[in-house]
Amino acid sequence: MDSLIRAAQRGDQDAFEQLVRAHDQSVLRLAMNLLRSPEDARDVYQEAFLRVYRNLDSFRFDCSFHTWLYRIVTNICLDRLRKRKVRKEESAVVETSDGPIDRMEVFEEESAHANPERAVWNRELNERIESALQDLTPRERMVFELRHYQGLRLRNIGEMLGTTEEAAKNCLFRATQKMRAVLGDCV
Amino acid sequence: MTCDSVARLIPLYFYGELMPEEEDRLEEHLHACAPCTREMERQRAMAAALDRRHTEVPPLLLGACRADLLAAIQGGAPRLFEPAKGPWTLFLEALAATLAGLNRYRTPVGAVALVAVGFFAARFTGAGLPASSLSPAGEVFSTVRSVEPDSSGRVQIAFDETRRRVVSGAAGDRDIQRLLLAAAREDNPAVRVESVDLLKSRADSGEVRDALLNAVARDSNAGVRLKALDGLKPLAGDSQVRKILAQVLLADDNPAVRMQVVDLLVSHRDDSVVGVLQNLVQKEDNNYVRLKCEKALKDMNASIGTF
Repeated sequence: MDSLIRAAQRGDQDAFEQLVRAHDQSVLRLAMNLLRSPEDARDVYQEAFLRVYRNLDSFRFDCSFHTWLYRIVTNICLDRLRKRKVRKEESAVVETSDGPIDRMEVFEEESAHANPERAVWNRELNERIESALQDLTPRERMVFELRHYQGLRLRNIGEMLGTTEEAAKNCLFRATQKMRAVLGDCV
Repeated sequence: MTCDSVARLIPLYFYGELMPEEEDRLEEHLHACAPCTREMERQRAMAAALDRRHTEVPPLLLGACRADLLAAIQGGAPRLFEPAKGPWTLFLEALAATLAGLNRYRTPVGAVALVAVGFFAARFTGAGLPASSLSPAGEVFSTVRSVEPDSSGRVQIAFDETRRRVVSGAAGDRDIQRLLLAAAREDNPAVRVESVDLLKSRADSGEVRDALLNAVARDSNAGVRLKALDGLKPLAGDSQVRKILAQVLLADDNPAVRMQVVDLLVSHRDDSVVGVLQNLVQKEDNNYVRLKCEKALKDMNASIGTF
């Protein structure tokens, strides 16, 4: 990976493209999971990799490329989450005759035909989870996403977010407490 | 270890973020404390519920993102090295052509992409057609307009045919230029990028200038818009060009385009630029563009905010 980065820094376009391809799926998945909007995820992708393209020369190998890239991506996503908090907009939930449905969400559930009661319960749980996630601050949401869904270690998350492992731990604790409060007897 | 301190450590224990000695002490406590064990179970149940939720990345979104990035980079995202086309680049160019028009029609991306692929999949060369419908003189391209099966099991297919001709000449040749101007309005963005790229060095002609302005203001592909902007560089002082650039700056959804427009506008200072940049700073979501505007305003000794 280091040789690829050095080649890209020297201006090797193919190396840059390989670098993008090695990381872009996880970047897109992270942006989609956090923002739940293909339009926003696409903007984040574009902005993040353009920043990488423009600033690759300033990457000094003092952390892993993955950490450096995620520092950029998480900053962009945090900006968007913060703006969204202020605007209270861009919900992916749409009203349907069957009740509110999240257009971006895939929730593994039994077929409604096979077990309608279970399906209703799952839908309620799904709504509560969404509400719980939305109640988190952008930073708590980010730490939770990176730890729970992306499986990153808190030390690494702290490094990406420019904070300490201890602060990331506190953030994760607050996030789980808030979610447990909202999810209540659903779990 | 008290129940209160255990409650704080349960999420960290669950995620494997405790030191080994902390883990031992917590497990010891859980062994002897039923309420804390129930808390641990609730933590596991919540995590299991969250595991079952995942957000789906629409099919083809990754390809569309790669095509966007390519368009922005090829169109002139500033970088120290001069990009050379590699195999991946060529692949992305083909992809960009397939995903025609995605840039402006972003919602829902998956559906639009599928329609685009469906449309291009409907194009085929004459090789697959019955021999009777082929001209012996050359390739015939067909676009299927409708497919209607009937009750007898037969199918009626309506399609348009286009015959290919090849002409060649110098880029400055009048007939070639006329074709390039037509190509700049073609559906296929790869054709538009190439045509605009060839036209951009001839912006001194009124027709070409209008075509470049039209591409900057209306083309759905950011790569085409960036090429057209390149061609307008020598005309950055022209008042009509500047008026359109100012409109593009406030309306274009692509940060690379907005960056380039800022560069063009500030290359010839006039007082109206200050107002446009101040306006943009207020509404700009992209940090890079905003910083660029702020720097340009500072360079012009203008205030960043409007009063």
